[in-house]
Parts: sequence; structure tokens; C-alpha cells
Amino acid sequence: MGGPLVIPVRDMLHEIIRRYNEAVYDTDRPRAMKVIDEAVAAGVTPEEVVFSVVIPGLEGMIDSISKKFTHNLAQHFMAAQIAAAVTDAMVARFAVPPASEGRVVIGNAHGDIHSLGKRIVIGCLRALMIDVVDLGVNVAPEDFVDAAVKQEAGVIAISSLMVHTARGPKGPVGVRQLLRAMDLEGRIKIVVGGAAYRFNENLYTIVEADAWAPDGISAGRVILDLLRERKP
Amino acid sequence: MTTGMERLLAAASGRTSDRIPIFVNMSDQGAPTLGLSIEEYFRSGEAVAEAQLAMREKYDYDNLWSLFYVGKEAELLGCKEILFSEYGPPNVLDFILKKPEDIHRLVIPDDIGALPEFAEQKKCLQILKRESAGRWPVCAYLTASMTMPALLMGMERWMDLALNGPFSLRDELLGKLSDFFRRQVRAIREAGADILIYANPFGSTDFVPMKFFEETSVPWMERDVTDTGVADMVYYCGMARLGEALTPVMERLKFPTYYLSPLDDIAAGKKVIGGRGLTAGVINDIELIDWTPEEVRAEVKRMLAAGMPGGKFFFGTGVMPFAIPEANIRAMVEAAKEFGAQG
Ligand code: B12
Repeated sequence: MGGPLVIPVRDMLHEIIRRYNEAVYDTDRPRAMKVIDEAVAAGVTPEEVVFSVVIPGLEGMIDSISKKFTHNLAQHFMAAQIAAAVTDAMVARFAVPPASEGRVVIGNAHGDIHSLGKRIVIGCLRALMIDVVDLGVNVAPEDFVDAAVKQEAGVIAISSLMVHTARGPKGPVGVRQLLRAMDLEGRIKIVVGGAAYRFNENLYTIVEADAWAPDGISAGRVILDLLRERKP
Repeated sequence: MTTGMERLLAAASGRTSDRIPIFVNMSDQGAPTLGLSIEEYFRSGEAVAEAQLAMREKYDYDNLWSLFYVGKEAELLGCKEILFSEYGPPNVLDFILKKPEDIHRLVIPDDIGALPEFAEQKKCLQILKRESAGRWPVCAYLTASMTMPALLMGMERWMDLALNGPFSLRDELLGKLSDFFRRQVRAIREAGADILIYANPFGSTDFVPMKFFEETSVPWMERDVTDTGVADMVYYCGMARLGEALTPVMERLKFPTYYLSPLDDIAAGKKVIGGRGLTAGVINDIELIDWTPEEVRAEVKRMLAAGMPGGKFFFGTGVMPFAIPEANIRAMVEAAKEFGAQG
């Protein structure tokens, strides 16, 4: 049996989660931030905010995108933006600094300047405590590989809006060739995503990537799995 | 011989013809048709018209597609830097709206038809109109006010402004871009287009929540088309799903034609549209790159079986990627002719 103090706290968390999700659902950033501020003021720990409110909120959203078609790009965009901002603020106040889950370099494929999808993915990765280095847009294969080596990243993440920037020789295929030539394939994995892949779920194998994801949050999961696989 | 226009008019009014209309939209493919690079090709309205006529003749589909590339519309508003590729569509490289003052300063030209940046498109439309002589509907693509900022400031910053405000700034921009849309309609109709594609991914609930859609997307769409009318317009969400947006759009905007996404369920879409409009079943032209001709045929068969019952239906593509093999384009058109026969 829970003591008299426990129930109200748990109820409060429940209420916070509900109000936070509602604000995200309405794409209302100021309201979502206010819910979090009030929670912290009322004694919810930064760890609880991240692990019990923000991450489950993102995950719930993805379940409903894939199953019920009730969420949309705007909500996804706001959820990622808010989640990254809240996580950054909270992590700074964690009792014990969290261990990073690993590092990812991310960019738009060569010839591609559409950065929205990448920005959403970055938000989700940061909320999952993954270190992300943003290489920007229109990134050449050599620059992806150089950066991954210098930054000791376990994953190169490449976003392409269009078919030709996904399939072209200077896209993921070019990165694969370099990794192969430098014997880095065991250490560095390639993850791809972006609008083009969502119309052909097999495209990631055609461009020789290790994995793909249809949205930002599943991107987080897929990348986390790859990073953990690499660990001894 | 039955013409594409006759097939379209029959389908629109619920009659049958020899077969359903087949719309194929190719842009970049025109370059190799004429042995030009993509960049050279898009510099000339005559080249685009010539290639469009040649491609229609070669594959024998029903429409003439006049779109160069979507970024052209940004050029009409002052964008000077376009990123060309050897094997894909050109993209806007420089976003002209970099700071709020740029929005205040943005001036929408009165007479789009007289702009030098419109000259090649105008030439292309005029040639297509003349050569078609009413046989093949000439199609033009126009970006809705709500989507246009993606080309002027990038999707990232536009999403921020659209959702987080400042809303007065957002609405100032949308007001200007709605004027732009209306003036472009005038210029494009004058140059000879028969059909206007109203392109608006923000008119899809894949993009925005229903609340935003009803409170913001719909009123701006209404403003776009109130003066122009919608009689020659097709509702298109850039291959995003029409989904739940379909009913409110039909009720409030009353477009005569709806272009589904390949990700929409054709039978379900037709059920919602009912007899109230013409429906395009649209093939997933990204998969068209890797399918075998047999797979293409099976997919077209499936689509037409779902869409043809009850009539008021035609076959369509998105803007076909450059990498689609010729054999698959032929297989697609042949299958659409075979399974779309009504004779
Ligand atoms: C909105 C839209 C537009 C808008 C705005 C484009 C923009 N972003 O600047 C407008 C109308 C202007 C437009 C124009 C064009 N478009 Co467009 N557009 C779309 C549409 C409907 C949505 C794209 C989008 O912005 N989505 C939002 C982002 C956030 O989603 P996303 O990229 O999928 O990212 C998510 C996931 O994929 C994933 N993700 C993204 N990156 C990564 C990376 C990794 C590593 C991982 C794991 C996951 C991941 O997470 C993200 C968040 O969930 C798509 C079709 C569709 N339904 O997807 C076509 C689409 C992308 N467009 C397409 C094309 C071709 C164009 C044009 C080139 C057409 C032309 N010929 O001119 C132009 C280019 C314009 C320009 N910039 O100069 C094609 C691309 C495929 C192809 N044929 O090559 C598409 C797929 C449509 C189609 N089926 O034909 N477009």
C-alpha cells in the first residue's frame, strides 16, 4: 500500500503528462514549456521530466502515427523541438550527469538542402541522450566520413528528401564506398531517412545503408540499437 | 480518334469514353529527350514545350505537362540561385526571405505575365496550347499561399513561423502570397493552361492538425481561390495524403477534381468524394523506378480495379522521378490503357 504522500505525487505526474501531451498535440510550445516549469517547481525531478514525461510523450506519438494516423508533421515537429529544449535544460540539472548513448554525425545528402526532417531527427536524438553533430546540408560523402572518424561517431545519419539525392553516387552509396575502402564498416554504421524512403521501404537496401526509419522517433530507436550493438 | 480532352470531359461528367484519361507528369525527362543537360533544358520554354509534345506522342498519354520545376515560382519573386543536378530536379538554393524585414519588403508584381522571369514558361504554355489545338489538356502547377513560404524561407523556418508566430508576420506573408497565387492564376490562364494544379501539402492533415487546418489552412485556401474560381483546378497535396482533409475541402472549397496520394486508399477516397468530383488514382512513382514491368502492370490493374467502379476516375502520376526506366513508363501506360478501357 502506498503511503499518503506517494499517491498525490504519482497523480501529479499523471496530470503533468496529460497536460504536456495536450499542449504538444495543440502545437502550443509556450503552454508545453509552462507545464514543465510548473512540474519542476512542484518538485518533479529533472530525471522524471525527461524519462517519464518527454520520452514517453514522443513514443506515444509515434505509436499513434503508425497505427491511427492521428498525429501529423506539425505535431511531430513541435514535439521534437520541445523535447530537445526540455531535455537540454533538464540534463544540465541531473543529479548525476547522464552517460551519453554514443555519437552520431548527421547531414543532408549531397545536393539536398531540405533540412526540416533532419532537424526533427536531431531533436529526437537529443531527447534520447544521443550526442549529435550536425554537418548541415549538401554534405559530400568524404565530409560525412571525415567527420565521423574525427568525432568518433558510431553512426552516420543521412537525410534525403529526393530520390536522386538518396540514390545518386554522392549520397549514401558514396559514403558506403569510402567506409568499405577504409575498412570502417564494422565501426561506423549508415542510417538513412527522408521523404524519398517513405515511398519505398526497400530503398535503404538499394542505397546500401544499414538501416532506415520513417520518422524522427523511430530514427532515435534505430540509431540507439545500432550504437548499442557496437558496444563491447 | 478520341482525344485526351474528350476523355477528360467524359470522365468529369460521369460518362464513359473509350477509356479513362491517363495523366503522366514528366519534367526532367525532357532533357535527355532533346539531348540537353537538365540545366540547359530548363532555360528554354521552346525546349520544354518541344520535349513535352514529343514525350506525349512517344508514350501516348492524355495530357501536356508544363511545369519546369517548382522552384520557378521562387524565381518569379526574386530568387536567383537554383541548384541544378545532372540526374534530378532543380532546387531553390537561396531563400529570399531571411529576416522579418524581408517579409515586409516583399512586393508581389501586379502583372506576373509581363515578368521576364515568366517569359519562358509563357512561351512554353503558348506553344503547348497551340500545338495541342484542344486535344490534350495543358496542365500547369501552382503553389498555394500556405505552401509557398517553404520555397522562400525553407520548410524549417516556415514551420516555425506558421506554428509559433509571430502570427501577424505570418499573416502578412500569407496575404502577399495569396495575392501572388491569384495573379499567377491570371497569367497562367492567359498563357493557355487548361488545368491548374492547386498544390498545397499544408492542405493535408498529414501535415497539420485538424484544428490548424480548419482555422488557418482552409481560410487561406478560400482566399486564394475566391476571385479566381476553381472550375479548372485540381486539389493536390504534393503526394501527401488527402485523408481527413478531403471532406472539409470538398464542402468549403468545392474543387471539381482531387488528386489522391499513392499512400491514400483509392476506394476509400472515391467513397468520400462520391459523385461530387473527379478522382485521380495516383501511382507511387518512386517505386516505379525499381518495379519490373510485370509488377507495374499488376499495380496499375489493382489501382484501376479500386478506382473505376462508379466512374468519375482517372489515372495519374506524381512528378515522375528521372530514374524511372523507359520500359516501366511504357508498361504503366499500356496497362492503364488495357485495364482502363471502357469501350
Ligand atoms: C512539402 C513538400 C514540398 C514543399 C516543400 C518542400 C521543402 N521541404 O522544401 C514544396 C511544395 C515546395 C515541394 C517542392 C518540391 N518537391 Co516536394 N514534397 C513535399 C512533401 C509533400 C513533404 C516533404 C516534407 O517536407 N516533409 C516533411 C519532412 C519533415 O518529412 P521527411 O523529410 O519525410 O522527414 C521525416 C522522416 O522522413 C524522417 N527522416 C528525415 N530525415 C531523416 C534522416 C534519417 C537518418 C532518419 C533515420 C530519418 C529521417 O524523420 C522526419 C521527421 O519525421 C513530399 C511528399 C511526402 N508526402 O512526403 C514531397 C516530395 C518530397 N517532393 C518531391 C519533389 C520531387 C519536389 C520538387 C523537387 C519538385 C520539382 N520537380 O520541383 C520540389 C523541390 C522544391 C525546392 N525546394 O526547390 C518528391 C521527392 C521524390 C522525388 N521525386 O525525387 C516528394 C517525395 C513527392 C513525390 N512523391 O513526388 N515539396
